[in-house]
Amino acid sequence: MTTTPSTPISAGPEDPSSGESGSDAAAIAEASRSAAVADDVAYLDQVMVEIDAEVRRRRASGDLPASLERELDELFLEFSPVGLQGKAKMRETLALIDSSAYVDIAVPTASNKAIGVYIKKTIRKMIGWYMRFIADQIIKMFWATSRMSHVLVEHVEDLEADVEAHRTPDLPVDVVVPADLAAAWWAPKAASALSAVGGRVAVGECGTGSLVEALVASGVDAYGLDPSDLALEDAIDRGADLRAESVLDHLGVVADEALAGVVLTGAVERLRPNERGQLMELVATKVAVGGTVVLHSTTPEAWARSAPPLVRDLAPGRPLHAATWAHLLGGRGFAVTETTTGGAGGALAYVATSSPDAGAVNAAIDAVNELLGGPAEYVLVAVRER
Amino acid sequence: MKLTFVTPRYGTEVIGGAETAARMLAERLVARDGWEVEVLTSCALDHLTWENTEPAGTTIINGVSVQRFPTASPRLHDYFALDGKLRVAPAAATLEETREWVSLNGPMCPDLVDAVEASDADVIACYPYLFATTVDAISAARVPVVLHPAAHDEPALYFAAFRRSFKHLDGLVYHTRAERDLMEDVFAVGALPQVVLGLGVNDPAGTGRAGGEILGIGDRPYIAYLGRVDEHKGCGMLAEYFARYKELHPGPLALAMVGPLSGAAAEHPDIISTGTVSEADKWDILADAQVLVNSSAYESFSLVILEAWTQEVPVLVNGGCAATMEHCTRSGGGLWFDSFRTFEAAVASLTDDAAKRAALGAAGRRYTEHNYAWPVIMDRYVAFLEGVVARGRPMRLRTPRLEVTGSGPAYVREGGGG
Repeated sequence: MTTTPSTPISAGPEDPSSGESGSDAAAIAEASRSAAVADDVAYLDQVMVEIDAEVRRRRASGDLPASLERELDELFLEFSPVGLQGKAKMRETLALIDSSAYVDIAVPTASNKAIGVYIKKTIRKMIGWYMRFIADQIIKMFWATSRMSHVLVEHVEDLEADVEAHRTPDLPVDVVVPADLAAAWWAPKAASALSAVGGRVAVGECGTGSLVEALVASGVDAYGLDPSDLALEDAIDRGADLRAESVLDHLGVVADEALAGVVLTGAVERLRPNERGQLMELVATKVAVGGTVVLHSTTPEAWARSAPPLVRDLAPGRPLHAATWAHLLGGRGFAVTETTTGGAGGALAYVATSSPDAGAVNAAIDAVNELLGGPAEYVLVAVRER
Repeated sequence: MKLTFVTPRYGTEVIGGAETAARMLAERLVARDGWEVEVLTSCALDHLTWENTEPAGTTIINGVSVQRFPTASPRLHDYFALDGKLRVAPAAATLEETREWVSLNGPMCPDLVDAVEASDADVIACYPYLFATTVDAISAARVPVVLHPAAHDEPALYFAAFRRSFKHLDGLVYHTRAERDLMEDVFAVGALPQVVLGLGVNDPAGTGRAGGEILGIGDRPYIAYLGRVDEHKGCGMLAEYFARYKELHPGPLALAMVGPLSGAAAEHPDIISTGTVSEADKWDILADAQVLVNSSAYESFSLVILEAWTQEVPVLVNGGCAATMEHCTRSGGGLWFDSFRTFEAAVASLTDDAAKRAALGAAGRRYTEHNYAWPVIMDRYVAFLEGVVARGRPMRLRTPRLEVTGSGPAYVREGGGG
């Protein structure tokens, strides 16, 4: 991975490499290791596909009685954390219910002594009517429960199929290049807005972690989140608190009002409408009163003209205007204190001020840029008031 | 900088994932310049009885100062009755019920809790989550507390007593991402400072003796299970699966179950139960195994998997265990089973194909070398602890200490001795 020269917002941790060549060598070694890991995992996937095929073949061969195979599988489930994680295989668990939903009243009568067999058979015969009466009711209850479970499972599977049919394909992870956020034009704004908050600050889609490190160096208790695992490794090795997960997933496992601030960037441009609503709800509950939200985004106009085609085609959502975010946040108790635009975004560049008539020409360029494109990005700062 | 570990038991005799992990970290940390490490623990070595078998007071174990405190009560039979009642619907149990469970689970060491309250350490590390010493230490400490939960998905994790206790934490140290995900799902502790640390792997300590010779099976190929041989570790299932496998695939393959036995040994001509073996024998048996099997669904890390990979031995793990599955899917170094048929197919696939074993084993070695070298682990741990100390411990409402409870008879280990 290459990094562009940055304008850090404060003195962050020194790059341990002694120069560009060392840094390049480390990058090459890291890329090589990543490729080896990808190969190893791909090979594993291939082996597991073979195993699955072999399992199907063996099941079809009938070399093991079905009842014995079921008993062996029940043995596995007996020692598994089924149910608590909510990730159990529904159909397998259902089969477990079905296989247990019968009460056999034919009690075994085997005995080491002939008299023992006789006594057991006699007792079985004598209480058979009683046991049958009880067992019939229990079996009826089991069957009703089993039937209800089948109805529920089928209903859930139908719902899952419906949801899947409406799902937008995920954007491939490698399409989004992890950013060096400390070098971004809006990083000083974020640092300034968060400098006085007293508590934990989560930085969503933190890229290489550079903004988190810069914030920590300036005294902010920040930690970072990014779906890209490999992008975080170097900063984690330097001691940064970074987690490979999305901001949406993460905020779901944070205690209410546990955060003093949140930085939102990257993913906010691509969220599905329902995810956007979910994000706003989470921010409103996880950020404490008095806490700060810093939200950075590309403008919809700049995104339409400059985002890579793959992102434009596959991203499940689109960026919003700053005013729309302000509206969404405002409805959840936040007051927007500052909105700043910036970023180059492919606008026409100014002529040098030494040129004759530079003032007039640059004013005209301003007007053209505003007319054709407007600002490429914005950063919005909001404080939770209630 | 001074770090105090709080563990329910401690010592070179203690065989248990969490306790061994705590000792490994303590011994490496105390060897670093500028670090002082002490351990506060009970006088018990047996977690089923909590019998005070070690003298109270301070001893030095491999450079680490260890202070032992007597347990106020042995484990009582009351524990098993309450455990059976609460594990049916653990999240629905009341705070009072679950605090009673924690108290009965023990070890209850009031003097240890006093020592935590009076501690002059910069930071306290509790390891693992499940015990009374941890719950009371988190509440009593006046300095920052980090928890190494060593958690896996079990009923007790959902008890309200732990939810209450973990509100007072200042940081969390995880073995794996799967453990972190689980803890965050259950306790909403995502905003707390945390690090996924894992453990380092020691250098192999084998002598080069043939594994088959140690096991008494000569040149026969074998797959191995290493660790406590216990029903809860899936060992009964493993023995049953292997016996069925041998019925369908007759041949010389054997299963070596290497480790202390918690119950009766499996009776099968192709299953060898060794009981406890020396560290050298363990490594030699591992080195010559075709596959290491970890049948347990309840692991928070599984150091033995990484040890196998240092020997380029591929692994086969329980598909219901998030932690060991994470090792396999991230490394490409092992397969998993979630039924008898997948077990059968995986064992056959691995034992029949040396090239496949070599490829998976090499992938596991690469993963282990990159992620679990001790210097990297210790640098991360130190950086994390320094961050926690720098943040300090905010003022919080204190939870009352657990009370020694129960009046029934003491639990006695089968076969006596405790």
